[in-house]
Amino acid sequence: MPSNASTNDAILVADDIVVRFETPEGPITAVDNVSLKVQPGEFLSVIGPSGCGKSTLFNVIGGLLGEHQGVVTVAGETISGPHKSIGMVFQEESTFPWRTVTDNVGFPLELVGMPKAQRIERARHFIKMVGLDGFENRYPGELSGGMRQRVSLARTLASEPKILLMDEPFAALDEQTRLLLGDKVLQIQQHLKQTTLLITHNITEAVQMSDRILVMTYRPGKVKRIVDINLPRPRTSEIVGSEAFGRYVAQIWSDLREEASRGMQDEEKHVLEHPGTAS
Amino acid sequence: MTIAAARQPGPRFVPPALVGVAALLVALLIMELLIQFNFVSRFIVPPPSEIIGSFGRVIVEEHVFSRFLLTLGECLTAGVMLTVFGIAGGVLMHRIKLLQQACETWVAAMAAAPVVLAYPLFMVIFGRNAWTIIMMGFFAALPPVILKTIEGMANTRKVLVNVGRSFNLTPTQQFWKIMFPAALPTIFVGVRLGLIFALINIVGVEFLINYGGLGQLINDLAERYDLAGTYAAICFVILVSVLFFMTLEKAERWLRPID
Amino acid sequence: MATTDRLTRFVAAEPLVSHVTLLRIAIILAVLAIWEFMAHSGLLYRDVVPSLFAIGKALYDLLSHADFYFNLGVTAAEIGTALLIGGFSGLAVGILLGANRFLSKAFEPYLYYLGPTPKIIFFPIMIMWFGVGPSSKIALGTLSCFFPVALSVAAGMRQIDKVLIRVGQSFRASTWQMITKIYLPAMRHPIINGIRLGLGVALIGTLLAETKLSNKGIGFLIINAYSTFDMPRMYAMLIVLFVLAIGANALVGRLGDLEGIKRT
Repeated sequence: MPSNASTNDAILVADDIVVRFETPEGPITAVDNVSLKVQPGEFLSVIGPSGCGKSTLFNVIGGLLGEHQGVVTVAGETISGPHKSIGMVFQEESTFPWRTVTDNVGFPLELVGMPKAQRIERARHFIKMVGLDGFENRYPGELSGGMRQRVSLARTLASEPKILLMDEPFAALDEQTRLLLGDKVLQIQQHLKQTTLLITHNITEAVQMSDRILVMTYRPGKVKRIVDINLPRPRTSEIVGSEAFGRYVAQIWSDLREEASRGMQDEEKHVLEHPGTAS
Repeated sequence: MTIAAARQPGPRFVPPALVGVAALLVALLIMELLIQFNFVSRFIVPPPSEIIGSFGRVIVEEHVFSRFLLTLGECLTAGVMLTVFGIAGGVLMHRIKLLQQACETWVAAMAAAPVVLAYPLFMVIFGRNAWTIIMMGFFAALPPVILKTIEGMANTRKVLVNVGRSFNLTPTQQFWKIMFPAALPTIFVGVRLGLIFALINIVGVEFLINYGGLGQLINDLAERYDLAGTYAAICFVILVSVLFFMTLEKAERWLRPID
Repeated sequence: MATTDRLTRFVAAEPLVSHVTLLRIAIILAVLAIWEFMAHSGLLYRDVVPSLFAIGKALYDLLSHADFYFNLGVTAAEIGTALLIGGFSGLAVGILLGANRFLSKAFEPYLYYLGPTPKIIFFPIMIMWFGVGPSSKIALGTLSCFFPVALSVAAGMRQIDKVLIRVGQSFRASTWQMITKIYLPAMRHPIINGIRLGLGVALIGTLLAETKLSNKGIGFLIINAYSTFDMPRMYAMLIVLFVLAIGANALVGRLGDLEGIKRT
């Protein structure tokens, strides 16, 4: 997908987002003039080192963080809180332990008053999509971590958002589960032609899944580079193992490495200057 | 430092504690006005100004200080009995596993039982005097001390016990030098709970049987239809109870600084 | 030989009646024996320790007359009402304080420090405001159980996994939906614990108020037995009361287990 498409085509536009926080040590700028545009059906990843403000950006776009400068528009509409066209998948475990899988997935449908029979059917559809058919009546406590994340994903998909916004959804999973789930998500995204914005710190994951990658600097988070990933789809394991893939990864790593080591130095400095406090 | 640790900008210029106190004062003011303008009968609720005014009178005429000492004395007596028998009972139950298995649920059930309702029984046994009050406080507050003592001793880290064994300590030494000190923080939590239960029950029973210190004062004033005095006495008891509670908290924090 | 080893170990296993049960029975029998001895010894003022037979008879008398059940009903109704009013207001205040850090810091200390004060001392005020009938007892019970419920719920609100709240917000749930579909289910354990504590103190508050000033209810029966020096009856009443109180507590506790087995 070309990255210089006009704003009119873009379904999600974030314009000059600035987020500042008050901390005991004074104000810090988490996000500094970040702008991005996402085209319909596109898979955009935002990658950056820890502390670059990408989760903050996630919260701003998701409408959960109101105090910021700059404007986020979805299909032309400026958002002022969580928007009905944006679906969020969080990094942490977020299934409701007291609800079955079906009731979890049906949650957004319940909120808008969909009748029960229809809800169950719709939920079943998405449960199947994430590969959890047979587990409809189980409780999250009975499932593995990876399965629970799939439930969270199905739940968000069930609300049929125009834009899927995910914050490191696989961070808590082991490598193998992550790879398998990543494949699944990609499959679903391609099938639904779902516009997706993925926040991640995993370069391989980003290159494998995305059409474009936005690399952020360390705090204050700015856009360092936008990389078009011109690899054919579907991104089979052949492609993942290819030289072109490796070049993208290396390129992004060289950008990231600089930022990541700045971040690490900063953290060490902070610990030295503030003995006895938790970070 | 992660961004997550940063605080959001928000109203930091009004400390919440002040708002709490201010709200209370405003409420009192509203009550005062409602009563003075006869929206609320002053024979049901005396105006706060009158209540505050009667503080001085009540303190002097009703010998509040000596009453306070009486209640305190009852609490201390019950407290000492509580500590001795509660800890001893808990230790005994911990040492004799069979006893613990048999009786621990009984003790827990007693903790949930409304022991204080047996006060008429205690009146028959001990008479309408301070011993009824002390015994009620003692029995009502005993279960938590026993239970916490057992818990404290049971939760001694295994490694500490092994250290003792590695030094070939006798069981008695093991107990006094390792298990008991290690259990002390938890035991103190139990004693604190026990003291609070004791105070609550003691003041309550004083009120009910119309004998004793502060609890009896409230009853007395109420029966004399001294409305303002009754309210004042209740305020005073609340004050004492709150101070007692705070003191115990401070003592507990002093005893376990690392937690 | 290996098989004999295993056989011996099997034989040495659990006796039919466990040692624990034996000890319990032994303790109960010992207590009863000492009791009966004291009853007949004449050491104590007459009837302070009535014979077990007298107590048994009084128990039978108590439970076979409609009178008792009427009074039980009155007390149960008072406690139930107190629990309803106190419980719901405690829940509402707890949710409010738990949701808002500022309000919590401003007002929760009041609840925290007023909680462990003996509420029975407020009874004269309750009588002035609500009269000498059941209303004043209900009022006292309500006052008693409000505090543990509110404090438990406020603490419970703060312990809710924050991400679950964000899920609700991301799906634009209304405040009512947030409360019914997220806060309350997430807090079922603190709520049940709060109710358990609340039940305990509401029971005590209501009953003590009945002993102080009432002409109906279990508390009234107890103090009546005292004033007529009908000791066997008093013991019988206390036994019934303790059994009911411990039973009710266990029931509410079991309620918590029921829901919580599958779903953390």
